[in-house]
Amino acid sequence: MRSILVILLCLCATSASAQERAYFVTYDHYLEERGNLEIAVATTTGFPRDGNSTYTAPWLELEYGVNGWWTVELYMEGVTTRHDGSGFTGWRWENRFRPLKSDHRINPVIYIEYEHINEASRIQKEIVGRGRLHFEPISELREEHVHELEGKLILSSAVRGWNIAENLVVEKNLSEDEGLEFGYSVGVSRSLGGLASATNCHFCRENFVAGAEIYGGLGTTRDKTLRDTRHYIAPVLAWRVSDTSTFKVSTGIGLTNASDRVLLRFGYAYEFPIGGR
Amino acid sequence: MVRDACSITALFVLMGVLAVGVQVRDRDAGWIAPADAAGKANPLAGRSDTVTGGRKVYQQRCATCHGDDGRGSPKAPDLTQPAVQEQSDGELFWKLSSGNARQGMPSFSFLPELQRWQLVQSVRSMP
Repeated sequence: MRSILVILLCLCATSASAQERAYFVTYDHYLEERGNLEIAVATTTGFPRDGNSTYTAPWLELEYGVNGWWTVELYMEGVTTRHDGSGFTGWRWENRFRPLKSDHRINPVIYIEYEHINEASRIQKEIVGRGRLHFEPISELREEHVHELEGKLILSSAVRGWNIAENLVVEKNLSEDEGLEFGYSVGVSRSLGGLASATNCHFCRENFVAGAEIYGGLGTTRDKTLRDTRHYIAPVLAWRVSDTSTFKVSTGIGLTNASDRVLLRFGYAYEFPIGGR
Repeated sequence: MVRDACSITALFVLMGVLAVGVQVRDRDAGWIAPADAAGKANPLAGRSDTVTGGRKVYQQRCATCHGDDGRGSPKAPDLTQPAVQEQSDGELFWKLSSGNARQGMPSFSFLPELQRWQLVQSVRSMP
């Protein structure tokens, strides 16, 4: 019986090819491959202005390709601060749908997410609306739960080796009437390699993707100004560590007074097939 | 008794997996590259020094579905079949660049263009 189980496990334990999306905030049109599961861990470390506590917000991300045009993701997130405590900040359920069968000049993807988080959330996977982060003690912020629905229109193109992606974000807080909140992100990136080398190498240029993204809030339907909105520009770098895993890093520079000074992000993703294609 | 039943069930599951394992997915005959893409020439044509790199990329990106030797699997079609090999380099380049989301074939347009042409070389060099 045990030997049969071992054989079954071996049959399933083949590798999958990791994608190298270098962005942390911006989405492109490449969905998870059908039947692949990607497990990722990442952190956002923020260095706020005005003497507020530095914080680190880790998250775990499970991404699964249901089929070639639908990818689902589950996030679980937390936060820890130097002086204000730490805790679990909620979960998110995300769906991305690709309506077109093949690549075109501009490739749309529809993104729908439900969030059950609290006001202590600081992973900042997207930035919408206006206003600074809250810097009260985490234990207080965790008491303020919010249910949110978020939609994105993702437009992405492959142009002469570059990826150019634009995301428009709209978010609705279902717990409070705050109107609709808007945000954006734009990313450009490209592989640093040209021809693939004949040998396996860890540090070849072909294993790196570099680029930049810019993201921020665009106000709300209640307050149609850009005053007190947060915006960041962030160089990004992804390293394909192996066929199945990718490490990436980004340093976001705050562009407005409402933004933190710096958002430092790290992520590691491992991908493997668990179902049929 | 229960243990025997579990063993027999597991054996049937294993046989099922192996039976599925020998099937190869059919190609999508309706998936046709546009004429202008089909006529594109391979800039690496005649270069034997880039084939090994193409095979490496194939093993990294394609072998999981199409098999190490390109002969297909339940996940993806046989790339050595005449219906695939008779296609022009431009058609193959367009197909691996564009993908076919409905059939589970991902788009590889995120790879540098030269690497995609190396993949075409790799498909051509299959036994």
